[in-house]
Amino acid sequence: MTSVENTEEDGLAERLRELDAVDTYARSERMDHLFTELKAECQKSDRTVAGFLRSRSTMARRLIVLSVFSALAIAGWYLFPIVGDHARTTQWTTSLVTFCALLLVAMIMVTRPVHLPELPRWQSLCLICAAIGATVLAAFWPYPEAQAATHDHGGGVMAGACMGVGILLGIPVYALLRLVDRGNAFGSLVAAAAAGLAGNFILKAHCSVPGTSHELLGHASVAVLFVLGLGLVHRWMPSR
Amino acid sequence: MPNSRRGSKPSDEELMEAYVDGDDEAFRALFERYAPILLRLTRRHLRNDELAEEIVQQTFFRLHGARNDFRPGSKLRPWIMTIAMNLVREHWRRTKRRKMTSIEVDTQAAPEADLMPLELRQRSELLHVALEKLPTSQREVVELHWFQERPYAEVAQIIGTSEGAVRVRAHRAYATLKQLLVLEIRGDE
Repeated sequence: MTSVENTEEDGLAERLRELDAVDTYARSERMDHLFTELKAECQKSDRTVAGFLRSRSTMARRLIVLSVFSALAIAGWYLFPIVGDHARTTQWTTSLVTFCALLLVAMIMVTRPVHLPELPRWQSLCLICAAIGATVLAAFWPYPEAQAATHDHGGGVMAGACMGVGILLGIPVYALLRLVDRGNAFGSLVAAAAAGLAGNFILKAHCSVPGTSHELLGHASVAVLFVLGLGLVHRWMPSR
Repeated sequence: MPNSRRGSKPSDEELMEAYVDGDDEAFRALFERYAPILLRLTRRHLRNDELAEEIVQQTFFRLHGARNDFRPGSKLRPWIMTIAMNLVREHWRRTKRRKMTSIEVDTQAAPEADLMPLELRQRSELLHVALEKLPTSQREVVELHWFQERPYAEVAQIIGTSEGAVRVRAHRAYATLKQLLVLEIRGDE
């Protein structure tokens, strides 16, 4: 911009400020009242678990989340039987690594400091779509039929059981991410996608029921249900 | 409350550091320093006093929550402005901004309007109407660069874009406002 334009703009800026004179009226009593309310809200928040976690530094919040995720993953890995060696294919490993990577990105988005400009909406929406897409794609690399246990798994019943387990496992992940979220836009939906990914990670690692239809109905549905369900809940009951 | 090394008023950053160290009075001093500025900013964007006050409170509430992220050497003003602008955008996204006609002037934005001279009130309304006609992205720049007198680099930091983009938006906003206010400006000359 040229200096002439700058001078011209300075003149207009001064004019705008003059026109804005209505705002110069002081309202100190009202300010006192606002501060009292604010202080009470801060003190109330400090006494809650969420308030405590959210007031940690961003680095600390990320370390807390990573520690909890790692502890859950390690415990799940060793406490429950994972799929047999024959089923640990490249696709299986790729699915797990993808879920982990997306989970990490979701965690970074949710714990983003609020003093930075908020991320564009499309980035959050991309992550949510990628999370659902990854779980659907993973269903097309199912547990190999030939390697499945010989007993009858009961088809739909097992899909329902997997869905239930996936949702149960996703809830603590969702809760933890909401507890450390200081109020980022789309934080709830990103946390929901992360919960779906976490559920799918565990199911993929442990479930030995073969078939794409089972994985679509019992595994991928977990991510879809989390995102749709919590999206609707927050639409009806928007958080402050 | 901290005293500045030079014995003058403590800087924003000194107050914030004191607050991080547990000095509640420093938080009050920051509120007294920034709440009026933020109130002006949010009122111009929202045209609703109650909502503007709520957003100012939320800004400080978030600042309180984020206090442990503050590092010595950081500038506080961009922090506060960014938090406030994020909240305003979030509000617009949630409520799907209702377009106001140029006739529909919200007098809630100026509760003391009755105490103002008629001419000043009309001018203020004229400005609000002109600002309403700008796209949000340009209005943010006008607000921060012209009213808050922040340099382009800082405005870019607050709204999360490049300095060049901010300059372009400012220039376009300037051209539009000049057109909209030309009658008023000429009339006063």
